[in-house]
Amino acid sequence: MASHSPGTDQIDTLLWIGIVAAAILIVALVGALLYVLRRYRGERGAEPRQLLGGRALQFRVAGVLTLFAALLFILGVVFTDNAREEPSTGDAGLASLKSEPLKIKATGQQWLWRYDYPNGAFSYYKLVVPVDTAVELEVLSTDVVHTWNVEDLARKADAVPGKTNEVLFSADEEGVYGGDSATLSGQAYAAMRTEVEVVSPEEYEEFVEAQNEEIDAAEERVVGLIENGETP
Amino acid sequence: MSAGPRPELVADGYSAGRPRWAQLATSADHKDVGQILITGALGFLFIALVELALMRIQLLVPENTFLSPVAFNRMLSLYGASAVFFFALPLVIGLFYYVAPLQIGARGTALPRLGQVGLALWVAGATALYATFLFTPSEAGVNPLAPLSEVAFLSNNGVDAWATATGLATLGFVLLSINLIATLKTMRAPGMAWRRVPVFAWAAAVGSWLMAVIGPVLLAALTMLMIDRNYDGIFFADGSGGAPLLWQHLSWIFYTGTYMLILIFAFGAIAEIVATFARKPLFNRNVVMACLAAIAVIGTLAWMQNMLTAPIGIGWMYFAMLMSLALIVPIGLVLFNLIATLAGGTLRMRAPLLFATGAIFAISVGLASELCHSLVAAAWHLKNTTDSTAATHFALVGGAVFGGFAALHYWFPKMTGRTMGESLAKISFWTILAGLLLGFVPLFFAGAEQGQVVDAYKYFAGTGVTAYNVIASIGVFVLFVGILLTILNAIFSRTNGPEAGHDPWAGDTLEWFTLSPPEPHNFDVLPDVRSARPLRDIRVAIGHRSRRSERAAARESQPVA
Repeated sequence: MASHSPGTDQIDTLLWIGIVAAAILIVALVGALLYVLRRYRGERGAEPRQLLGGRALQFRVAGVLTLFAALLFILGVVFTDNAREEPSTGDAGLASLKSEPLKIKATGQQWLWRYDYPNGAFSYYKLVVPVDTAVELEVLSTDVVHTWNVEDLARKADAVPGKTNEVLFSADEEGVYGGDSATLSGQAYAAMRTEVEVVSPEEYEEFVEAQNEEIDAAEERVVGLIENGETP
Repeated sequence: MSAGPRPELVADGYSAGRPRWAQLATSADHKDVGQILITGALGFLFIALVELALMRIQLLVPENTFLSPVAFNRMLSLYGASAVFFFALPLVIGLFYYVAPLQIGARGTALPRLGQVGLALWVAGATALYATFLFTPSEAGVNPLAPLSEVAFLSNNGVDAWATATGLATLGFVLLSINLIATLKTMRAPGMAWRRVPVFAWAAAVGSWLMAVIGPVLLAALTMLMIDRNYDGIFFADGSGGAPLLWQHLSWIFYTGTYMLILIFAFGAIAEIVATFARKPLFNRNVVMACLAAIAVIGTLAWMQNMLTAPIGIGWMYFAMLMSLALIVPIGLVLFNLIATLAGGTLRMRAPLLFATGAIFAISVGLASELCHSLVAAAWHLKNTTDSTAATHFALVGGAVFGGFAALHYWFPKMTGRTMGESLAKISFWTILAGLLLGFVPLFFAGAEQGQVVDAYKYFAGTGVTAYNVIASIGVFVLFVGILLTILNAIFSRTNGPEAGHDPWAGDTLEWFTLSPPEPHNFDVLPDVRSARPLRDIRVAIGHRSRRSERAAARESQPVA
């Protein structure tokens, strides 16, 4: 994973904190286990001392573990809160937005993502967003549960029918970022992918314009065909 | 080793009247029911591994076409149901059911017919699941999330059969658990207060209570699913008053509780084994017992750890994180006490202890990785990647395969009168360990680093996961061979293993006081229980007496004048 958004920076950091904490626990436990297994080997001989652990020792161990867990919890809350923060649109971003994030609907359906832009344009499979701009995705589903997942830009979010999930990001670099849906949604689940193309604000404006014109033209064609009594 | 006074009546030469299989099929004896569950569980372990292996062949190379998407989803669904409902849970509950009544010195169980019905329901469930091969298995995955499981999206009978199978099995587990609860409550030997109950029997009590709570939750969810599918219900359908997320809450309560149940079982078995093979008492019994109960409660309350990317409030996510991280304390304390019990002992490195240490290792790695999945924002990255597959498999292979095999090797002499072949057990252990590491460590990297998603029937070239998947596929085959060796070892040792005697490990608990295999009524006589280690009390007393009589003999042989 290569992070390209302020939110994923926070996710990345917390992930590393988790990996370090897990490594500490694994090394401590497995190390102690291996040491004890090597040190106290003995097939025969007298019964060893019948040692029992006192309450004080147990409390000390419990105390250390509690501190460890509490520290992780606090770090977890701090970094999660940071990751949820709404990013701000920078100077290179879409100027027309002011303080509002760019609101786009991402709708999952078996087995395709549809994106609806503020001006009525829409696109399938590929989402085009301007660089350095706060984007708010409303993640929806029309059929089964899907998970929108473009890990370089944002968190995973489940698309659950009847519910709205929210994803915030602001891409720091132009480029194409791919992702696979992450919840089993039926036969073509593995092929249900999506792409986010991050472009300059001018290119974005051109894209939604062109998309709108194409959609209108297509609609006109269809309406024309129907009026002529042909099947579209 | 003698088994105390026996009646002098000679009954040799009188046939049992009915063939052994007819006896087993109609028996309500906890030992027969337990053995059928354990044997069945090992059979389904083999079947589950075949399904896992087929999926791993499909994932050997990018965009493979070995299995069609539908076939892959069916294998996935069958694998999930087989591994959880027909391997792990029956193995755990079967061992509880066989061993715990013996450990508390009970001559039977409180409600034997209830347990017998439980077994019959489980068998019916297994039949329903594998009868789907005749028509169409479920395609909805390990946990069939609504609304994919609804009739609008999967209209064939696969999901119905899945729900029937898991429902019958779960109802069976609940009945077996109720019998265990009643038995452990009312039939303990004279003098055996709760504080003197063997840790494994305590784990059985905690595990049975847990199953009695979470089982009905799944049964409720399955009932709703069946109503939705067959009687135009709307429980999990959105838009008409139903809620797809309801299924997730109910099913994750069950699956998370099951996860905890397997851990509690493993910790209970390991506690008995480390104490016996270190020849020391458990470092601090009371703390371990309290922690096992805490794991059941806190762990199950962490069910929303599985829903951190779902549209639920951030407060609920923090609650799930709090409960998951709180588990560090009781689980850490249990592991600390297990390792501290080994310290200072004279360790006999026999098969049960070997598997028990493997279980401690694998559970440690698995649960430490689950820790990353509990940190909310980290879960936003890791959720539903193969990293979660790897973490779950480390913890549950650690608990149910290593822990289950440790218990199997430990109590096998009690069940059959013979020990399992020691060298085959060692080869099997190292093969399983190698298979686990090869099969699932690469998935940690594929998931956390490259974001490979779970449950997908293919992946694409150029995404950086091909090498990881090749190694993982090879690893699963090594794992398969290792597990197969233990299953074969059990089959051959049953009739050909070295004779074990009644107490091969010099155990401290009451199950070693009876014959191997035990008579139907378990015990002719029982000692008064004065501590948590009644058999050691007897050994110590005999030691004193023989020293006294040696001294007396020495005095008598002294010349008088």
